Amino acid sequence: MAALTVHTAPFELATPIVLASGPAAFGQELLEALDYATVGALTTKTVTPRPRAGNPQPRLVDCPCGLLNSIGLENPGFDRFVKAYLPAVLDLPTRRIVSLAAERPEGIARMVGRLADVEGIDGLELNLSCPNIDDIVIGSEPAIVGSFVRAVRPEIDLPLLVKLPGDTGSLIASAEAALAAGANGLTLINSVHGLRIDHRVGRPMLHRKTGGLSGPAILPVALACVFEARRAFPDAFLIGTGGVTDAKSLVEMLAAGADAVGIGYGIMANPRLPMDLAVGLSGWLAERRLESLEDVIGAAHRGGFVVP
Amino acid sequence: MKTRTKRRTEPTRSGSFFSAPKATLVDRRRGEGYARVWLAGVDGARSARPGQFIMTRRLGSSALPRAFSVLGVGPGRVELFVKLDGLLRELLGSVPLGTRFELRGPYGVPYEERIEPGKRYVLVGGGSGATPLLFLFDRRPDLVSDLVLGFRHGGADDLFPDLDLVVEATSGQRASDRLADVWRPGLGIIACGPEPMLRTVGRRYLGKPAVYVSLEARLGCGIGSCLGCSIPTAHGTRRICRDGPLFACSELPWLR
Repeated sequence: MAALTVHTAPFELATPIVLASGPAAFGQELLEALDYATVGALTTKTVTPRPRAGNPQPRLVDCPCGLLNSIGLENPGFDRFVKAYLPAVLDLPTRRIVSLAAERPEGIARMVGRLADVEGIDGLELNLSCPNIDDIVIGSEPAIVGSFVRAVRPEIDLPLLVKLPGDTGSLIASAEAALAAGANGLTLINSVHGLRIDHRVGRPMLHRKTGGLSGPAILPVALACVFEARRAFPDAFLIGTGGVTDAKSLVEMLAAGADAVGIGYGIMANPRLPMDLAVGLSGWLAERRLESLEDVIGAAHRGGFVVP
Repeated sequence: MKTRTKRRTEPTRSGSFFSAPKATLVDRRRGEGYARVWLAGVDGARSARPGQFIMTRRLGSSALPRAFSVLGVGPGRVELFVKLDGLLRELLGSVPLGTRFELRGPYGVPYEERIEPGKRYVLVGGGSGATPLLFLFDRRPDLVSDLVLGFRHGGADDLFPDLDLVVEATSGQRASDRLADVWRPGLGIIACGPEPMLRTVGRRYLGKPAVYVSLEARLGCGIGSCLGCSIPTAHGTRRICRDGPLFACSELPWLR
């Protein structure tokens, strides 16, 4: 599958398929189902300075073409993550991106500083966009985004990605702040703020009322964000995440300008999806006699592919 | 290049790239509001034991699969007992025989690995919560003192003609009432059904040994990875799909 390799600074990935932060947890459960050779990188579940129990049930509600979730950043906390989970993450036969979130820049910077000497971490992702908590800032304020990245950047040489929300109206300004402060790339987008109400009783269906919409429903939103970000930042590394569930939507995301494509909902629905995507994408490239992904990435900005 | 030729033809022929195990709807018996459904061609799922579940959706769908507790397994097939509401349940109830599904599993910890050994149990089910209990009764009758299966209406009667179901509409009794009639000290309880029923069991048999409830939630991945089904327990957060679905009542202080 040589044709699937991604060579875009700062990453070299075996495939453009990235397990998005969240549904893959720390990658262990998926070992039973998944051939990691088809995965370019795993992004860990977001880790916070202290343990978080997450939100009460119900946490998941079905939506047309998607899912509304309200997990609430459930995670074991940084100390326990480092002791009990990180060693197994580092053993995974793929690249590993550690996702971090905190209330304040110093909180993330402290965690990042403690990861600086760990061998085998390939990148960091700052999650500045979880829609399901109250106490951690949302990445809609460019000044705040910049302050987080500035706090983290001196602590570590690793590639640094910033995960931003796609539904705030300030995406480009926030992205610009992140990149100007030293981020190497962006992960776009997180799940989209949403609500469902039980029509029989007139009450929100999630315990925490609103949640994050994921799945095919948000594919067009993610595509537009990636497309606009690629236009604004031709050299930034972009992971496009949102609603990719098959090879066709994967190609759309690449063509919009993503260097790599995150899957979240898709891996929940089908733990073997990366294998299907890798086979599908290889076949798709071969059909069009395209030699490498470089012909696909950003094609929508160049008038499309050459169709044989 | 050989491999390239293969890759080139495979996806275009099927139009989709799903590699998950496939199953076919081969038989179905419908009662009012419920159905027994047989899916064939599922190698892995045949190893299912009572309490375990499978995840399924229509082949080629991008919908999130639904979890179904297994009612039984036979040569090359797995049997489900489903309430005919909700999107996929309706699909299982009304699509033609021969319809193809994507199916994975079994997942979850078998009841037998969770319950206190050397005891006999009253099995209490409500609605489609009867499913894993019927499977357990079939496999391990030696563990069962009584089987109490409650339904609001009589729709499941035709599907289980040999069983004495507790039908609230005709008897005025609920499964939890019948449980009170048959339970005696020394017996354990395994309950599976709607949350109000589980809360009644939890409240009435508070502090009694070997009382278990089988929990349900909208599962995301089914394999313990997405944390969509996490619940608080006395021992910390646990996942219904991976650590359950069976929990001791004593672990669940909120179930009262």
